[in-house]
Amino acid sequence: MKRNLLIMLAFLVMSVSQVLAQTSSVKGVVVSKEDGLPVIGASVLVKGTTVGTITDYDGVFVLTDLPEGSKLLEISYIGMKTAEVAIKPDMKVVLAPDTKLIDEVVVTAIGIKRSEKSLGYAVTSVKSDELTTARESNVLNSLSGKVAGLQIGSSSGTAGGSSSIQIRGASSISSVSSPLFVIDGMPVDNGSYNPDRTNGIIDVGNRAGDLSSDDIESINVLKGAAATALYGARAKDGAIVITTKKGKNGSPLSISVNSSTRFEKVLKLPDFQNEYAQGEYGEYNVKSLNGWGPNIASVQDQKFTDFLGREVTLQAYPDNVKDFYQTGMSYINNVALSGGTDKADLRVSISSTNQTGVVPGSDYNKYVFAINGGMNFTPKFTGRVSAQYIRSDSKGRPAQGSNDQNVLIPVINSLPRTVNINDVRNNWKNADGTQISLTPDGKSNNPYWIINNNAFTNSLNRLIGNIVLTYTPIEGLTITNNAGMDYYNETRRKVYSKGTIGNLEGQFQTWDLYKRIINNDLMASYERTFADDFNVKVMVGHNIYQEEWTNNSVLAQNLIVDGLYNYKNAKTATPDYYSSLKRMVGVYGDISFSYRDMVYLGVTGRNDWSSTLPANNRSYFYPSVNGSFVFSELIPTNKILSFGKIRASFANVGSDTDPYQLAFLYTPVNSYFLQYGLTNVLPHNGLVGFSGPKVLPNENLKPQNQASFEVGTDLRFFNNRIRLDATYYRNVTSNQIVSIDVPLSTGYFANNINAGKIMNQGVEIALGLTPVDVRGFKWDMDVTFASNEQIVQELTEGLTEYSLTSGLSGLQIKAPVGGSFGLYGTGWKRDDNGNYVINEKTGLRETVNNVRLGDIYPDFTMGINNRFTYKGFSLSFLIDIRQGGNIYSETVGSLRYNGLAAETAAGRDNKNFIEAGVIQNADGTYRPNDVPVKSMQDYWQHLSKSGNNEGNIFDASYVKLRELNFSYSFPRKWFNHFWVKSLDLGFEARNLWIIKDHVPHIDPEANFFGPSQIGGGVEFYSIPSPRSFGFNVRLTL
Amino acid sequence: MKKYILSAILLGVLSGMSSCSDWLDVNHNPNAAEKVEPGYLFNYVAVAWSGTRTSGDFYIPISQSLQIQADGGDSYGGWAEGNYVISPYSVGNVWKGYYNSSANNLKLAIKMAREASVVNNNAIAQCNVIFAENMYEATMMWGDVPFTEAWNENIRYPKFDSQEVVLNGIIDVFDNALSTMDPSLPSTITEYDVYYGGDMAKWQKLTRSLKFRTLMVMVDKDPSKAEMIGKMLTEGGMIDSAAGNMEFKYSTNSGNENPKYKILEKYFNGQNQAFFAHNNVLKPMQDLNDPRIPVFFEPGHDGVFRGLNTRQAAEEDKDKNLLSSVIGKSLYRKDIPDLLYSYQEQLFLEAEAYLRGLGVAKDAVKANELYRKAVKEACLYYGVEASAAEKYANSLADLSIVDEQTALKNIHMQQWIDLMDRPFEAFVQWRRSGSEGNEYPALEVPATAITKDLIRRWDYSPEEMTANPNSPKSNPNLWDKMWFDL
Repeated sequence: MKRNLLIMLAFLVMSVSQVLAQTSSVKGVVVSKEDGLPVIGASVLVKGTTVGTITDYDGVFVLTDLPEGSKLLEISYIGMKTAEVAIKPDMKVVLAPDTKLIDEVVVTAIGIKRSEKSLGYAVTSVKSDELTTARESNVLNSLSGKVAGLQIGSSSGTAGGSSSIQIRGASSISSVSSPLFVIDGMPVDNGSYNPDRTNGIIDVGNRAGDLSSDDIESINVLKGAAATALYGARAKDGAIVITTKKGKNGSPLSISVNSSTRFEKVLKLPDFQNEYAQGEYGEYNVKSLNGWGPNIASVQDQKFTDFLGREVTLQAYPDNVKDFYQTGMSYINNVALSGGTDKADLRVSISSTNQTGVVPGSDYNKYVFAINGGMNFTPKFTGRVSAQYIRSDSKGRPAQGSNDQNVLIPVINSLPRTVNINDVRNNWKNADGTQISLTPDGKSNNPYWIINNNAFTNSLNRLIGNIVLTYTPIEGLTITNNAGMDYYNETRRKVYSKGTIGNLEGQFQTWDLYKRIINNDLMASYERTFADDFNVKVMVGHNIYQEEWTNNSVLAQNLIVDGLYNYKNAKTATPDYYSSLKRMVGVYGDISFSYRDMVYLGVTGRNDWSSTLPANNRSYFYPSVNGSFVFSELIPTNKILSFGKIRASFANVGSDTDPYQLAFLYTPVNSYFLQYGLTNVLPHNGLVGFSGPKVLPNENLKPQNQASFEVGTDLRFFNNRIRLDATYYRNVTSNQIVSIDVPLSTGYFANNINAGKIMNQGVEIALGLTPVDVRGFKWDMDVTFASNEQIVQELTEGLTEYSLTSGLSGLQIKAPVGGSFGLYGTGWKRDDNGNYVINEKTGLRETVNNVRLGDIYPDFTMGINNRFTYKGFSLSFLIDIRQGGNIYSETVGSLRYNGLAAETAAGRDNKNFIEAGVIQNADGTYRPNDVPVKSMQDYWQHLSKSGNNEGNIFDASYVKLRELNFSYSFPRKWFNHFWVKSLDLGFEARNLWIIKDHVPHIDPEANFFGPSQIGGGVEFYSIPSPRSFGFNVRLTL
Repeated sequence: MKKYILSAILLGVLSGMSSCSDWLDVNHNPNAAEKVEPGYLFNYVAVAWSGTRTSGDFYIPISQSLQIQADGGDSYGGWAEGNYVISPYSVGNVWKGYYNSSANNLKLAIKMAREASVVNNNAIAQCNVIFAENMYEATMMWGDVPFTEAWNENIRYPKFDSQEVVLNGIIDVFDNALSTMDPSLPSTITEYDVYYGGDMAKWQKLTRSLKFRTLMVMVDKDPSKAEMIGKMLTEGGMIDSAAGNMEFKYSTNSGNENPKYKILEKYFNGQNQAFFAHNNVLKPMQDLNDPRIPVFFEPGHDGVFRGLNTRQAAEEDKDKNLLSSVIGKSLYRKDIPDLLYSYQEQLFLEAEAYLRGLGVAKDAVKANELYRKAVKEACLYYGVEASAAEKYANSLADLSIVDEQTALKNIHMQQWIDLMDRPFEAFVQWRRSGSEGNEYPALEVPATAITKDLIRRWDYSPEEMTANPNSPKSNPNLWDKMWFDL
């Protein structure tokens, strides 16, 4: 037996030797799974040995004289998952990208690249592929649900509409808490200038929406002040650091094409009743655009005059509103060429977005030309140029809000159920060019008059560019200068054609907006490692920043020739001009230490001088300190904990204010407000008028201050199958530069002072799971959770609440001491038991003024992204959750007020409806309500009229299927003999389904406030948001 | 090498900072002026003041709640103000108008005039008269208001003065203005004096008239004012012709039209379907066959003039044509001026003073003479032919042959009619026309109103209430009388 065994063993050894002898050298190619391109410089190592090589320009490696016993090759490359593959004579190794690598390099403030594990604060990175699947025309929307603590808000379903962004809650009562946007180290504008406060607001988009998703390599979200301290004042509300794509040194020309075609439909339409016609109290009235008329079924034996003067039998058109909207189309295309030699690289890209909105007549077109090129002039001196030229235009962006003739939604939603939308569409203009109103008395505009005659137009030209020069005179010392500019010019035109009801004489207004930001950072850094274990990096820098803004607008009224929008065609043209200039200078420094890749400590300091503050107060310094400890380095390698780190940071940052807040000046007045959305102009009869300031300026303003503290942990278990990143933060913003209301009897509305203290604290959790990873099938799940608590800790002496926004049918958004920003207005009167107090005369609820009606911010937000991959197939879906917070909806209110909402049909004929509630007796006691309402029309109109705000307040929580993506990557081997490197096909969808919500008739995400306004929780005739779905082809040549 | 490089960097940074101060010195607003002529501020005040008076914040709430105009019900004007629902925004805007747009800018204009190289007392007086008139309106709407401590940079929370203090303060302002005005010298506010073009003689008359009107408001509560009234009547020098009327002129130029017209243009297709003849005005006019009826009102589709009661739905024929009378086109034309003080107003007050013997001996004959002249002037102002005006004035009952109460009622009736399109002045006049329950006309609380008593004031501005700890803890009731209102 023993002999047999020895023979077998000898046979096996010989067999193995024979195999090894056959594979003593190995050749192969390493390609990236992501783009199919060769991976240059990948490390190829025979496992368990020091024998290895790196791949060449074609991703090819050759290993000869393999050691005896070599079985596995270990192939690694930064940013990709290390692969272990069995040695074969001719190998092809595909490296998958690894976005979860612990030692991932992230771009932090001022473009400083640091390993993620060294950071003492939270940074979330979103990679290119997450932005280019299910692309959005506004790239910010692609971040929704993917970054804990980041709140994205969309203010309309307008094509090319805006998205607001807020990190870790609102920190200010005086300005919008919006992060700084940085592209390739250059701070850029994300403004959203909007001259309309509440009336006829046009959603003109925000400047971050100009960017093309396809040009973005990564977006790093720097959340805390410690992360952004080096950026100075501008980034007190966080920073969005965008790195654009580049060509690769030494890589051949690659052409990529990404093309999407998408269809957009309204996500949620009101639920209408279809039983009652227009009128009052059951009587038909063609002048009433509502649903309080007779029961349609009960008057089939009668004829009524419709809005076109025809005698008709009433008939419901259940889809008349639905049929008003069209299927929007989006074509998002990108072609990019990239490549490089050993000394230079270049990427050139053209992106186009061509969109038609769900509202007829609205479109948006955007073209982005991007170039990014680098050159190694000498081994020590390199340069890089990055530029993007953006051209966009749009037509027919619809108006929202109130008190404006062009606001569409109230007209559309109040179409009586008996009006056929085809009649409206085909009869908006008489043969003589006059309008056919929806009512015979000519009180209501035909929506197609607005669409066809009053289209808003705008166009934008923008250039963002920067030049980075880097010099490395000696090892360890790097001197970099980054000079950049962001320039744009936007023209807008808002039109009310002659014959528009409410503006019969016609009017138009144009705006010519100009902005230019110039920024220069000069930095020097020096890095040195001591005694192998200690590393020190020192950086100093100098920053110059300038922001210029010009707004040239002309209001032209009383037009002479119809349809001619030339100032000379107006009886009155009132020009206005405003310009501002702001400058800043900063000096900053950063010292970071590390010990054995285990303990990290970073200290930064920055001093800014701002032109907007008084000369004696214009200098302000802010320090930050952050540290991290990778404690898993001390724990023996084990199967449970793969990585563990704790981190903490503290920062104290200052910030300045807007230009021209200091001096007492007299302003020429060019218009004055009259109630009901009316304005008159100055000069009046040829005479000018000047006014002193409404806000008393303050020559002694000091910089604002924000102290922020953050602690967090990053844990990985079971070989990264479970990934947990948790952060607790606390920010206190004090000494805010704010206009505090003063008694009007002082002569002023407000004084500019330093006051107010707002605390935001919260937790952010990102949990990654890989529940299944077997035989090529992988299921990844990423959950983000964020909860922020905001407390207004102080205002100023004698002030217990501060009104942030008002003018919305009595509704206000206020900041109360001891609470968070909330909705305030008229509420229902209740007894001690919470019963409604009913008026004994009317049977309707009684009201109380100025009560808190709800929170505008959620308790928490969550995103759950699941991704299943199997071979070339990939299926992912993102569920977005918001819990808590409230919304006031004027749209719901008016649907109910007008008797058009489905719920208003129920019990309409009940003549004795008594609402549950109590009536206060003369002695102060209560009795159950025993008074019927006069009619259900009175009941609903009382419940939902805009003055009774509480009737239109709803829970804004929702669960949404935000994103769905199914794609297939064709196997590379199929194209081995073609010029195609990779081909992916996909189905993609966004905002597909509201799984759960609590608001009737509208999308709970609808929001009246654009990115330039403080507030939230209010919907005011918003254009409904669309769901979109379509197809995507990605091709690399 | 390292040293040189580091030194170069440091030098670069420092050189960048050395010029930093100049480079940062750009916070000078190019959009506004550090100094302006007082007239520019004065003109803005005039524009903004009349803008408020004729806008939906003031004209509509007062005309509707006073029941001097009707709204035709929800299918037409549908103004909630008829139910005494006055929007807090209207209240706030009007308060802002007085305290900020008007008074603060006038104070700044006065400061500019005082700081001028040559102090111009006429300009200061012009500003002070407009200031006093704004405060007169404010106290007539709210009663006790901030006055003695307002617009003072050293006082953070101005106290609310009693109406008596405010009105006496206003008299003082008028007196001071009169004592410093000098018609022999030019004013520095001439071109920008939209009322009288810098004619200080007219300003003198106006100032006396405004003082006289203020005294007439005070005299029932403070009979000692009768003496001053008598003195003024004896001395004269008040507005003595329609040429002295104080008007703010609008034009047909787009953007310079009367806001009353703009409301109709914006919301009612340019047609008046929002403001209707109220029976409170039309009926007494019809009883007297008043020639102003076709000016004040439009007939119904069938040619008949029909008034409405408060919040009453307008009448229509079977073809939906309007049968109820709306207020006349000419009063809603683009360039209808805002009449701030009129000769007929002056004459009515003088007639009342002589009838009642306020500081002068009772003289019903003189009162009747002034009364008929006032009626004639009122008719002429609204475009009635001179002969028709004369005929109508002479057709009225002779005040000297009826009892004093009837005579007084007749004056108040004509004042009420005259002020149909000037709701604020009508609101003051109605309250001073008699003690509670004895005013002319006898109004009834609308059935749908939110109070059980007639409205006599407005709530305070919510912004003032919130921001000023010295404001009253709670609003007086809408029906609470103020100091002057008996």
